[in-house]
Amino acid sequence: MTETPDDARTASAEPEPSLIPLNAIFATDFVEILVPVMSNNTVAELAGAVATHVEGIRVPARDAEKAVYHNGRRLDPQLTVAAAGIAPLDHVRVDYVE
Amino acid sequence: MTMLKREEWQHLVRDVGWDYTYVDHEAVYPEWHSGTGKVPVEAWRDWEESYKVTYPEYVATQNEKEHAAYAVKAALQRSKAFENLDEGWKSSTKMHFGGVTLVEAAAIIGELKMARFGLNPGWRNMAIFGALDEMRHTQITLFFAHEFVGKDPQYDWAQKTFHTNEWGAIALRSLFDAMITSPNVVDLAIQLPLTFETGFTNLQFVGLSADALEAGDINFANMISSIQTDEARHSQQGGPTLEILIQHDPVRAQWVVDKFFWLSARAFSALTGPAMDYYLPVENRKQSYREFMEEWIIDQFMRTLRDYGLKKPWYWDDFVAGLDVWHHSLHLGFWFWRPTIWWKPVGGVSKAEREWLAEKYPHWETIYGPLWDTIIANVNAGQMEKTLPATLPWLCNTCHLPNDNFTYGRDGKWRVRNWPLKHNGVTYHFCTNVCRQIWWEDRDGLNNPTVVERFLAGEIQPMDVPGILAWMGITPDVAGDDGHGYAWAREYLPNGQAARAGSVTS
Repeated sequence: MTETPDDARTASAEPEPSLIPLNAIFATDFVEILVPVMSNNTVAELAGAVATHVEGIRVPARDAEKAVYHNGRRLDPQLTVAAAGIAPLDHVRVDYVE
Repeated sequence: MTMLKREEWQHLVRDVGWDYTYVDHEAVYPEWHSGTGKVPVEAWRDWEESYKVTYPEYVATQNEKEHAAYAVKAALQRSKAFENLDEGWKSSTKMHFGGVTLVEAAAIIGELKMARFGLNPGWRNMAIFGALDEMRHTQITLFFAHEFVGKDPQYDWAQKTFHTNEWGAIALRSLFDAMITSPNVVDLAIQLPLTFETGFTNLQFVGLSADALEAGDINFANMISSIQTDEARHSQQGGPTLEILIQHDPVRAQWVVDKFFWLSARAFSALTGPAMDYYLPVENRKQSYREFMEEWIIDQFMRTLRDYGLKKPWYWDDFVAGLDVWHHSLHLGFWFWRPTIWWKPVGGVSKAEREWLAEKYPHWETIYGPLWDTIIANVNAGQMEKTLPATLPWLCNTCHLPNDNFTYGRDGKWRVRNWPLKHNGVTYHFCTNVCRQIWWEDRDGLNNPTVVERFLAGEIQPMDVPGILAWMGITPDVAGDDGHGYAWAREYLPNGQAARAGSVTS
């Protein structure tokens, strides 16, 4: 069967971004919270989304780099949420880099 | 005609029963209600309550109690006592009215189940008295709260709470459905009268009664003391049931006690912990929540375990460690998510209060100090939007309370750690490893979705804070706000600013 130009476009296109609700905690905060992100957000954007609910709100804001930990691994901030293997309802911890 | 003395006739009537000939035993006492399990049915003949009562005695005593409680109420109704109470204390009573009143109603069902399906006639008679007790408790609590509805609509939640989807109501419904409504009567007698009523109602009814007197709330102390006298009698249904179960199925006995001691401890850390350590004015506090738990709950529970030959629960160290953190985190959560609750939580972290907290809980400043300092700075900067929630706290799939329990790790840090579990392709999260273990053992019976799960399933529309509040039944006139108008934050302002600062409102 011959591949048509339309088929080729479909095959190479990124999947539609999807909503990924996460169980998240920020640094020394006292509670896990619900934070929705999109699968095409970067890990750095995910860190920002979690921090929005906590940093300077309950946890004192620090001028320091933030890292995202998932299943015990520190994630590359440039990766997308999907590429990092983060699935809906997963837990992520966002913390300042010491 | 000479009347027989009680001791001359009661033994003949208290356990009158008969064998059925027209129907099978199983038809009258089906296993799913009667729950004898590995215990031979004839073993229940040995069931005997330690404190015996007859119906005439019961009626006379209850009549006396009712007259006393309502007479005190009538006298106080003419005074200005209510108006002079601190809002922190009033909120302790609002929590009690909303969180407890309809549990008393659920307990009527529990007692009636034991009255119908208990496998000994003496037990069934005791349970009848228990049902009458619980009816009285429901009525007296509703009646006492009703007086205040005209003054403050949050008191209406004495009747309303359990008819809403408010998140605390869901947590309590989940607990009491598991403890009272759904189990067979053997498990029920150990879960409700023994573990909950013997073990924990002391906390709410003795501890809170003492605090009520300290706070000047004689009316509330009068009401709950009257209730507690009944608890002391009908809670004894648990002991004889446990004695017989242990002889034939000690593993089941241990599991039922362990499970409901843990779940009750979680609930009381929410219901009583903040009331004792934050809402009661600091000058009125005699004991911290932890001290009260150690004296009234742990000592008594250990005695119960020893008396019945049970082991200390597998999670004991986690429970004791939790006394330093559970209720502090829950208090912070109640305060931060205050629009979602039916009372007015006070911050309770003025300088004097923090000094008291740091003395009673040596790690308090390390764990909670920086969090409250950030909140205080936002309050004092007038940035009230930063002190209010924009998302949901994650709720535990077992106890339905927030996942907010700090533990001290091997890394030398106090952190809230995640306790996940993947089952049939779904990820669940728990507040503690113990709640996760309980869920795993009981997973076929625990199917109550959390508010977060209902939100993600699209049951709550629109999917924003107003939508969530509407779904919970919270209207603007009852939504919680700081009980002291944020006054406790102002003393942290630099000198001079504090004097000029006006009232801060959200």
